Amino acid sequence: MNSAQLEIQIIASLVAIACAIPGTFLVLRKMAMISDAISHAILPGIVIGFFITQDLNSPVLILLAALTGIITVVLVEYIQKTGLVKEDTAIGLVFPALFSIGVIMIAKNANDVHLDVDAVLLGELAFAPFDRLLIGGTDVGPKSLWVVGSILLITITLLILFFKELKVSTFDKGLTASLGFSPAVIHYGLMSVSSVTTVGAFDAVGAILVVALMIAPAASAYLLTTDLKKMLILAISFGVFSAIFGYWVAHCLDASIAGSITTILGVVFLLVYLFAPSKGIIAVMYREKQQRTEVSLLTFLLHLKNHDEVEERHVNHLYEHINWQKVRAKSVLDLAQKNNMIHMDNQVVSLTKKGDEFTSKAINYIITNEDAQIEDMKDDFFLFRG
Amino acid sequence: MRNESKEDIKPSTASERVFAVKVDDLTVAYNYKPVLWDIDLEIPEGVLMAIVGPNGAGKSTLIKSILGILKPIAGSVTIYGKPYEKQRRLVAYVPQKGSVDWDFPTTALDVVMMGTYGSLGWIKRPGQKEKKASLEALEKVGMLPFKNRQISQLSGGQQQRIFLARALVQNASIYFMDEPFQGVDATTEIAIINILKELRRAGKTVIVVHHDLQTVPEYFDWVTFLNVKKIATGPVKDIFNDDNLTKTYGINYQVSIQE
Repeated sequence: MNSAQLEIQIIASLVAIACAIPGTFLVLRKMAMISDAISHAILPGIVIGFFITQDLNSPVLILLAALTGIITVVLVEYIQKTGLVKEDTAIGLVFPALFSIGVIMIAKNANDVHLDVDAVLLGELAFAPFDRLLIGGTDVGPKSLWVVGSILLITITLLILFFKELKVSTFDKGLTASLGFSPAVIHYGLMSVSSVTTVGAFDAVGAILVVALMIAPAASAYLLTTDLKKMLILAISFGVFSAIFGYWVAHCLDASIAGSITTILGVVFLLVYLFAPSKGIIAVMYREKQQRTEVSLLTFLLHLKNHDEVEERHVNHLYEHINWQKVRAKSVLDLAQKNNMIHMDNQVVSLTKKGDEFTSKAINYIITNEDAQIEDMKDDFFLFRG
Repeated sequence: MRNESKEDIKPSTASERVFAVKVDDLTVAYNYKPVLWDIDLEIPEGVLMAIVGPNGAGKSTLIKSILGILKPIAGSVTIYGKPYEKQRRLVAYVPQKGSVDWDFPTTALDVVMMGTYGSLGWIKRPGQKEKKASLEALEKVGMLPFKNRQISQLSGGQQQRIFLARALVQNASIYFMDEPFQGVDATTEIAIINILKELRRAGKTVIVVHHDLQTVPEYFDWVTFLNVKKIATGPVKDIFNDDNLTKTYGINYQVSIQE
């Protein structure tokens, strides 16, 4: 691994961290689409800034682009507030308009400079190490490393200082306002950070990957934890992992770095979506199946409890009467037997003491819906959880 | 009580009558369509008051305007004689349960701790003192065993109790609650009303947006009828009658009130 490779991975990782932090809050605020809007709409800001400074990493350009990002948010909110169109429509109206202004400006004026639409969309991470920052003639590293590093430092500082405010305003705007914290200030603060991060990451990874780095790690983390701090840490970890792993995939396939990182982000999300322990698709399906079985079990036990007559409790009668297919009836019988809730005597089923107690308790719970009574059963039975 | 500093903020009630909440000529509009029209309202200290009225009457809007969450187009609000901005710490607010996302990744205890953020102010973080107060509030609403439960794993009634605990931890003088009985089971409803009555006994003022007219005489001692305009306000025993109900809810509104 040479130093250019290392630098690319460091830049990609820093970008991933800087994106995951605002991304987590955007996902929780159901504003994922606004990051898409910002990433495209800042283009005219970048172009104008580039005309003024002739430098893609100039702070002036970053500020101008961030300003365009804020303008996007304000425009979206303004259009939405008129009540004539919904928020997603407003977003869909604003960002293509601003983006296309940027595209026209590039086509008209910047044909001969290093700024083209491809670079804007996909970034030029591979070239990042070649643009060095020189201080007093000494090479101190790639420019974009410094840009992204500074943005990350600001983001982390703001996160640590205002974590409490971000959390409460994301969860409950009404309470936040009544406590005296302005939700608008926090909202626009978050939007500013998102815009600045987008601009800083833009040059390195392009408009499309910025969105992926903001949303995908946070969305994956959301499925894995019920703690905001852990969600932030997981989102950052997923981002950094995808950045580094994606780089090496690109290296092996000789493909676009941005494209590979985005692909890995997608794969990570897919895996989490499938296999997350409690919110993943497979866990949900398993739980539903388990719940079906347990409802059947309870139906069966209740039937036994309600009928003392031998003929009502004969296995054949159960097959016919409860109207289950043999497979299902058998699996319920097995489950009940395994838990020592029934015993069979010459094809006649009856409840054991344990089964009888369980049935009374479960029915009582279903009728009263009182949680305290069921706490000890929850570990064994999905039926009573959530 | 450990809120001696708050006593200083309250002007003496002996010399002149200072209301816990005083609303003057309040008009609130959404897109220039008035939802509240010229409201004058005086809420004395120490009452447990219901705000009743049909859907769209502006009940929640009234509370939100008093709390500065919505900006009125006219009128003014004072809390113990001073603007709300200066009296924030005297006021606690319980929004409608449906106004937040219960899938938010946080625990019951953490939500209650949010009630302490107001007294902490910007940047400063909650510490042991805030945690202890929050645990006490959880205990009061009977939710201590659930303190580490993720909030989406709680039932509707439990979520409402968490919201109530969050207001209790603010240790306020005036409590505003937006439909605290909506979608809760009977046990929780009784638990909540008992806590509200306890607050009133401690001299606090409690203002509740309420839907169930049947329970007004049983739960509350003060009532405000609202339908865009204020219809009536006063003690339940004096003004909770068919006349005001009809004026508020439309022609010939019938409600059977069990004595």
